[in-house]
Amino acid sequence: MNDSSMEPTTSINRLPAPPKSGRWIVPGLGLFQGLMVAGRNMFESYYKKERMTTIQYPEQRAPISPNFRNFPFLCYDKDPVAGLRCTACSICENECPPKCIYIVLDRDENGKSLKRPKVFDIDISVCMNCGICAEVCPFDSIYMDGEYELSNDDRFSGLLLGLDRLSKSAEYHMQLRPEEASEVMARRKADEEKKAAAQAAKEAKAKADKEAKEKAAAEAQAATEQKGESA
Amino acid sequence: MISLPVQTASFPPVTLENLPLLPKNLVEFLLGWVGAPEWLVYAGGIVATAGTVVGVFLSAFALLSLVERKTLARIQNRLGPNRAGWFGIFQPVADGIKMLTKEDIVPAKAEWLLHLAAPVLIVVPPILALGVIPYGCEWTPVPLELGLLFFFATGTLTEIAVFMAGWASGSKFPMLGAMRAISQMVSYELPLVISALGVIMVTGSLSLPDIVGKQGGYHLGFIPAWNLFTPWGLSAGIIFYIASIAEANRCPFDLPEGESEIVAGHMTEYSGFKYALFFMGEYLGLFAIAGLGITLFLGGWQAPLPGLGFVPSWIWFFAKLAVVIMSYLWIRGTFPRVRIDQLMRFAWLCMIPMALVTIPAAGIWTLLRANGHGLFAWLVTVPLLVFPWIVLTIVYNRCLAPATRKYTFAE
Amino acid sequence: MLPLLILSPLILLAALGAVWKARPVHAALLLALTLALIALLYLAIGAYFIGLVQFMVYVGAVAILIVFSLLITRPGDEAEEISRRPSSLLTGLICTVPVLAVLFISLIRANPPEPAASDAPSATLQQFGEKLFTTHAPVVITVGVLLTAVLIGAALFARGVQGISSSEPFESGKSLPP
Repeated sequence: MNDSSMEPTTSINRLPAPPKSGRWIVPGLGLFQGLMVAGRNMFESYYKKERMTTIQYPEQRAPISPNFRNFPFLCYDKDPVAGLRCTACSICENECPPKCIYIVLDRDENGKSLKRPKVFDIDISVCMNCGICAEVCPFDSIYMDGEYELSNDDRFSGLLLGLDRLSKSAEYHMQLRPEEASEVMARRKADEEKKAAAQAAKEAKAKADKEAKEKAAAEAQAATEQKGESA
Repeated sequence: MISLPVQTASFPPVTLENLPLLPKNLVEFLLGWVGAPEWLVYAGGIVATAGTVVGVFLSAFALLSLVERKTLARIQNRLGPNRAGWFGIFQPVADGIKMLTKEDIVPAKAEWLLHLAAPVLIVVPPILALGVIPYGCEWTPVPLELGLLFFFATGTLTEIAVFMAGWASGSKFPMLGAMRAISQMVSYELPLVISALGVIMVTGSLSLPDIVGKQGGYHLGFIPAWNLFTPWGLSAGIIFYIASIAEANRCPFDLPEGESEIVAGHMTEYSGFKYALFFMGEYLGLFAIAGLGITLFLGGWQAPLPGLGFVPSWIWFFAKLAVVIMSYLWIRGTFPRVRIDQLMRFAWLCMIPMALVTIPAAGIWTLLRANGHGLFAWLVTVPLLVFPWIVLTIVYNRCLAPATRKYTFAE
Repeated sequence: MLPLLILSPLILLAALGAVWKARPVHAALLLALTLALIALLYLAIGAYFIGLVQFMVYVGAVAILIVFSLLITRPGDEAEEISRRPSSLLTGLICTVPVLAVLFISLIRANPPEPAASDAPSATLQQFGEKLFTTHAPVVITVGVLLTAVLIGAALFARGVQGISSSEPFESGKSLPP
């Protein structure tokens, strides 16, 4: 029962172990120790941080952990419109369990898809914060946000967040979840570099092919000229 | 025709010492100067005196409600109310406005007359009792010859008011709460009165200014001759202190009003200003009984050290009152609530025997010291007080072991 | 004279209400009021010690005892119904009329002494205490012994009825005190 490994190791209040049963209980000692604990609490709360754990909301806010998730947000790279990563593929809309996402694809005048959403609405009174939309997105565009001050006095349209409320920058994502965001950014950068390297290799190969072809054509030209001269 | 003690001849000089008497003197002088009949001047003086006492203690009550919340908060690792002004100084005003604007709900099963009379009746005894305590060497609002008896008589009126509150509400929580509250108050009134008996015996008078006057002077030049600094006085003082916490229904004896136990006990069916009156009655009762404890054991308005006589005596009284009230708050923030059977057992088995032992101890002490055997007095009274305490501790240690329980199940 | 004139009707009204009211709680509270008014009467005629002791003992102990027993037993409607029956009135008259007759006859026959001219009480507290503990000491001691015996007997009786003590094991079928 008095196993020290099971006791919480808080250093603030260390009371002596209670006396074993059958021993003499010194009258009043426990009362005195309790009074001293309370007195220490009171005096040290003025200058010690661990004894004053109150956070004065709304002037101060409690720090939220990176694992906290609330409602989703859409990530953009540099420009909120052009840099929006979302391509309106509607995978998140189909996978959402309570069906809180509504997407309308943006098409140009010919009907060809522009690979970005015209309308992207999330009803946060329906959203159950499960995070499935963030798990299934192939374009690193939808993530779970940590904002909790979303109170509104309009039950219906006030809780329907559109593209303007949902688009947040990649720097915000980095600030919110540094590990995940840096992993995503590294991966995207590596992908881009690989793509650029593949592009460069392809261009180099095309250039080399072209040069080889020109060289072959030049050699063939030279060969035919030499043959014409010797005949 | 009775001759009334009225001061119409000249206005007494205003010193720091009789500053609290200023309203009374001013009213009497003005009324006498205007030419009012003698009974009107007397009545004006009475009203001014009562107004001073009530005004001082109601503002002290407002201040205490804030100080209590902030102190308890600091003990509990949090800030108290700090939104209603700089450091929450207007919180009592906000509380008052809230209480006044709440709807006054009277249950349908309640008897409205008793329901209304109970909070009124519970505020009256503490205010009456506050009138007899000597606050300064010139300031006792009503210097009665039987002041101590008057004090205890008003305490009994509180119990009737608690019963009325509990019964008139007509529901089970108030009735249970009233039953427990009355039994607690009656049980702890005995140690209270018996520990005061020792003081009365030593002083030879029931008059509170006399009791304070007897505690003047200093032993060895710097130890005040207060009753607390004698063996029987220490014992009686501790008993009085604990009994006063129980009489005022404060933690750890606040079973009648503990929220997790019985909602609010006898105050459950009250809302709005009636609840504020209960609150006020409890706090004013706390002031009254703390004031009495200071008068009986801590020397009232006597200064603690010989050289500090220039400070007005009522400042010493209120300083001691502040220290005692802070100790009540400290105890409230530290200890858990006791159960009703623990409470009763403590009162009847521990407090009353110890209180009864202090009476012969006080008598023996005074007798031996009056005949010049100072050291012998110490040698006799200290074991006389310590020995029963040790015996009671042994008995308690045996009682505290949990009894073996035998459970019988239905066959 | 004035306090007597004002207080006597009030005392009589409260006492009448205490015996006439059917509901036990109202009757008990009116009894407490009667006793408090009698204490006020004592204070008004100058017997301060007796008045305050009357308050402390009668209102603070006797009335509380009655009220507490009402809280524990909680008499319901049958108590009101019993007190409204004519047979209860007959019982009351049989008990009170002889007592009232004796009091009335003794009051008429007594010769009261001339009232004292002074308005201050003739005995101070000191003299009162000395008289009580020297001349009437045997009475005081006897009453004290009787009360102590009653207290010890009540404690033993309560212990024996409930069967709860620290040495006996707790039986789960028995009920605990409130």
